[in-house]
Amino acid sequence: MRRKGQVTVQALVFLIIGLLVGAAIGYFAAPKGDPTLLDQLNEKDQLIEQLRNELNQIKDQLDQLKQGSTITLKVWAIGPDPPSEYRYKNFELAADVLNMMLRDLGANVTVEVEGQFFARPVEWEQYRQNFYQAFAAGEAPDIYLTGHEDIGYLAANDFIIPLDDYIEEYWDLIYYDFFPTLWKSVEYAGQKWGVPQDTEARPLYFRKDVLRQLGWSEEEINALPEKIKNGEFTLEDLLQVAKEAVDAGLVERGLVHRVKEGYDYLQFYIAYGGKLYNPQTGKMVFNTTAWGLTLDWFYRAVWEYGVISPNQFSGDWDADFHGPFTEGRALFLSGGTWHKGEWINKGLLTEEEFIEVVGYALHPAAKPGGKPVTLSHPLVYTITTQARERGLDKLAFIMITLVSLPTFNSIHAVQSAHLAIARSQISETKYSQDWFLADVAYMLEYTTFIPNHPDWGKYSRVVFDALRAVETGDMTPDEALDFMVNELQSQIPDSIEFVE
Amino acid sequence: MSDNIWQKEITLKDILKVLELLRRGFISLAKYIVDPIRNLLSKLGYKLAIYVFLVPSLGFISLFYLVPFILTFLIGMTAMDFTFKWDWVGLANYIRILNDSFAPKIMGNTLFYVFTTLTLFNVGMALVVSLITNHIPDHIGSAVRGIWLLPRITPSTVYALLWLWAARGEENALINWFLTITGLSMVIPTRTWILDDPWVIVILVNGFVGTSFGMIVFTAALKSIPEDYYRAAKVDGASTWDIIRYVELPMIKWPLLFVTAYQTLSLLTSFEYILILTDGGPGLYTTEVWSLYSYHKAFRSYGGTVEIGYGAALATILVIIGVIMSLIYWRIFKFKEMMVEPKIEV
Repeated sequence: MRRKGQVTVQALVFLIIGLLVGAAIGYFAAPKGDPTLLDQLNEKDQLIEQLRNELNQIKDQLDQLKQGSTITLKVWAIGPDPPSEYRYKNFELAADVLNMMLRDLGANVTVEVEGQFFARPVEWEQYRQNFYQAFAAGEAPDIYLTGHEDIGYLAANDFIIPLDDYIEEYWDLIYYDFFPTLWKSVEYAGQKWGVPQDTEARPLYFRKDVLRQLGWSEEEINALPEKIKNGEFTLEDLLQVAKEAVDAGLVERGLVHRVKEGYDYLQFYIAYGGKLYNPQTGKMVFNTTAWGLTLDWFYRAVWEYGVISPNQFSGDWDADFHGPFTEGRALFLSGGTWHKGEWINKGLLTEEEFIEVVGYALHPAAKPGGKPVTLSHPLVYTITTQARERGLDKLAFIMITLVSLPTFNSIHAVQSAHLAIARSQISETKYSQDWFLADVAYMLEYTTFIPNHPDWGKYSRVVFDALRAVETGDMTPDEALDFMVNELQSQIPDSIEFVE
Repeated sequence: MSDNIWQKEITLKDILKVLELLRRGFISLAKYIVDPIRNLLSKLGYKLAIYVFLVPSLGFISLFYLVPFILTFLIGMTAMDFTFKWDWVGLANYIRILNDSFAPKIMGNTLFYVFTTLTLFNVGMALVVSLITNHIPDHIGSAVRGIWLLPRITPSTVYALLWLWAARGEENALINWFLTITGLSMVIPTRTWILDDPWVIVILVNGFVGTSFGMIVFTAALKSIPEDYYRAAKVDGASTWDIIRYVELPMIKWPLLFVTAYQTLSLLTSFEYILILTDGGPGLYTTEVWSLYSYHKAFRSYGGTVEIGYGAALATILVIIGVIMSLIYWRIFKFKEMMVEPKIEV
């Protein structure tokens, strides 16, 4: 006998199945042409829902406008010398000014700068590596400050965008006033790919107090920069004087130069008549004679004259570069204008001490009557292709234009002892009051740039390896020259031309 | 007190009851999973079962060793730089290695570094420390071994920087200070160690860390030698040296060979301390080892143009050397025998 509950469950199951079957028959059997009343009602409901959604979206947008929107711009800059922090900080200052103007105009937009200023212990190698890795991850900064020589590689490989149209658009605001030579440093393949941020000269610093002890008169000391300028004091004289100071026990080292890879030592090659780039062929140049003489000079400086430490390239910036010179343990220092800023900021020398014991001149010519040299390495602001993808390229350029104005750029120039980029900056109040910057300005007439070639990094590395090998005594100058030729011929045969 | 279950005090008994229920649950669950697998395997056979059980580890090995190696090998056939483009160049990078002016010197450095650190420290010192600490009262031995482990648990950067400070040139830098106060400076003059004797520092820094691995393995092996052997030796009038020579060393032969093989491969690829201490210098590639050279080429360039392809080719050479070394060890040390029957419990 069946229980009552079981009958009820069975009845319910049959009812549900019946309903489902009925609905299915109804669906398939119903005429497809005219919409039923139910369909019309459903359609209306959908329309109402759609309208409601759209209204909500508009309401959200209005709310956002009322609150104001924030555009974030990512900027990366490097010293690595700490006083050059305004390469980044100026963007924050410029954003404040821009935001003030936007607020006064009633525009509900705020520009926010985020990013980083990289300083030691982060060096250029690490900075560049960080950039390329960030780029690969799609997180590259919108504005990327780098050395002008990177432009070839960055442009050839679509990391950055050409800026000719923007520069033209804002030409009359500030760019007309830039020193024309600086524009050459940002050119690649006939286009401008960056905006010069600063430049500098690389002086040969000397200790006046040591020269005094060597018996030089005050007149002779003060005349040294002029003698170098006129080609009357050569690289050979430099070795001789440095040796005298070392032999006399006045200093431990005759000359200190940078302790890591860089470009300072290219000045010696240029002094020996070397060229780095041939604009006609677009290739880098390797002048065999000039390189031979340069390697020989460094070899003699270490192993014959004993004025450069064989371990100079393995040294520490403080212990083997800044320290020996600022403490009077080295006579000459092959450095840059920014080093003056670094010494004052670090408290290694006071302004008065600097005036009293430090002199500065161009790097001497190789032969009597020859042309002295210096090297400039303008840093440039570039805009990445990722900034364009984010639709921020225009804003990025406006911000670069703002920080390029004399008011902002002079804050950086004076604090870090870098040279002006625009003519009007010379008369800008802050800049014009810096006697040192005014004093070294003449050096730019003797300056040269390194090439904007995609393979420059490889050339630079080979030069560094060869010079280091000569200084450590691992290679003779002849061996080092052979090494350079072989390496460059095997690594970048199509990018370089060899001349006698 | 309310009868509500959530407010009832939970006793240890309750917890045990729940655990017991869970245990039973898991056992029955495991039965439902394991039994069908067991049945399947018994049908498919023993050999297949081995492969099935090996699948997870083979998967991990493939994912973390084989795939990276294949990628490294493939990248080594390209001219990849920071654009990360696969520009195929065939064997050009390998031909360049053959013509690389610094490759012979760097390979020589690598062999010197591996051989010296291995014999003096990673095996030699490890063995000495284990034997000595095994022959002194246990609480002192354990303390010594504990202290020796400190560099292993110190972040490598901190450890290397401490050494760097100790090895500087000033009179009050730790090593020079020690030499002066002990009067050893008469024999070993004070100097800027990191510049004048970089290899000494590089080997010491790596050695003191490397010692701890062998020390643990050897000590464990020594501890597992049955006490009877020592007693028997002593009854026969063996001295401590005799015990070491005729009981302990033969008994820990296998761990000794294992540590030698393992540490060779480990040293071959390790470069982080050298990077921090000397960065391959001073001078021209003085302490540059192959793995560091590969890193420098692949990731470091002042001029911004790195050579990831070339660096990968250099790394591939290192892998090949590692494989060859493993095979040599396998044959010479007869690892096959060791795998078949453990000679001592470690």
